[in-house]
Amino acid sequence: MVDIISYFCFGLGIVFWFWGTVPLVGDRSVLFKLHSLSVADTLGSMSIVVGLLLKIPNEWPLLILALISLAIWNTILGYVLAYCSSSRE
Amino acid sequence: MIGYLNILLRLTIWFLLTADLSLANIIIGVAVTLLLPRVATSPGAIKDWLRAFWEVVVAIPQAYFEALEIMVRPHSAEAITMERVKPQRTPGLIFLDIFVITFTPKTIVLKYHEDGWYEVHRVTPRRDK
Amino acid sequence: MNLMLLAMLLALLIPMYEAWQDDNIWQKMLAFASIATKTSILILVVSVLRDDWMIGVVGVLILSLGNASLMLLAQIIKRLNQI
Repeated sequence: MVDIISYFCFGLGIVFWFWGTVPLVGDRSVLFKLHSLSVADTLGSMSIVVGLLLKIPNEWPLLILALISLAIWNTILGYVLAYCSSSRE
Repeated sequence: MIGYLNILLRLTIWFLLTADLSLANIIIGVAVTLLLPRVATSPGAIKDWLRAFWEVVVAIPQAYFEALEIMVRPHSAEAITMERVKPQRTPGLIFLDIFVITFTPKTIVLKYHEDGWYEVHRVTPRRDK
Repeated sequence: MNLMLLAMLLALLIPMYEAWQDDNIWQKMLAFASIATKTSILILVVSVLRDDWMIGVVGVLILSLGNASLMLLAQIIKRLNQI
């Protein structure tokens, strides 16, 4: 049962990765790409780490730390990139 | 109040990082936590902090929901809107607000204006033109 | 598990291609940010696959160190654009 949930998490994460990364090649604005990247890199990666957490539950302290720092750093990097790339007057 | 939260945050990171609950490690952790320099900030009301943390917890399933929504219905238009900052926010609370807004895939904070506005960039399903 | 690793490597190729073909500096920064996150997650998955948690510790350290350098770089590029 746990295995099935963990594989579901991996699958969801990889689908998010592809869905969010493919628009990167297209010809949209930086901000639009940032939206899809936040789907891919934050939510997709978080789902993959949760899948790993279900697979090796005895390493939970470090994986939880990874999960938290992933969410915070990626979100703040998104904000910093949006701020820096938009205010250039 | 924010001082306690600060100490709690440091202790949490320490114990997650070392994953070791022996007496020596607890002593080292508490000592390091108390010895690291602290910045004096204006304290916010505990009620505001609790609500902000609750918003962070709610934001996680909401973010996944919005991600699925974007995937099912293509959001191709972009818009920039202004949002009002709630009154009497301390810098820590403003940071959490920006975190929550940027964490959900549909919205990103572009800029925080000192006079109490967030500049928010969002994707919408349709072009309005 | 192996299949999953292949899929992740394939996803990693997309931002690499983007970083190579786009000349706009902000698009390049986006691609690099994406590469950074994806590689560290890849390290974690490889560590589970090989059952070697030492590799995993390195991945967690990279994740918690985070994208601090990219943020600094973004600020520097913004300043340079203003001059």
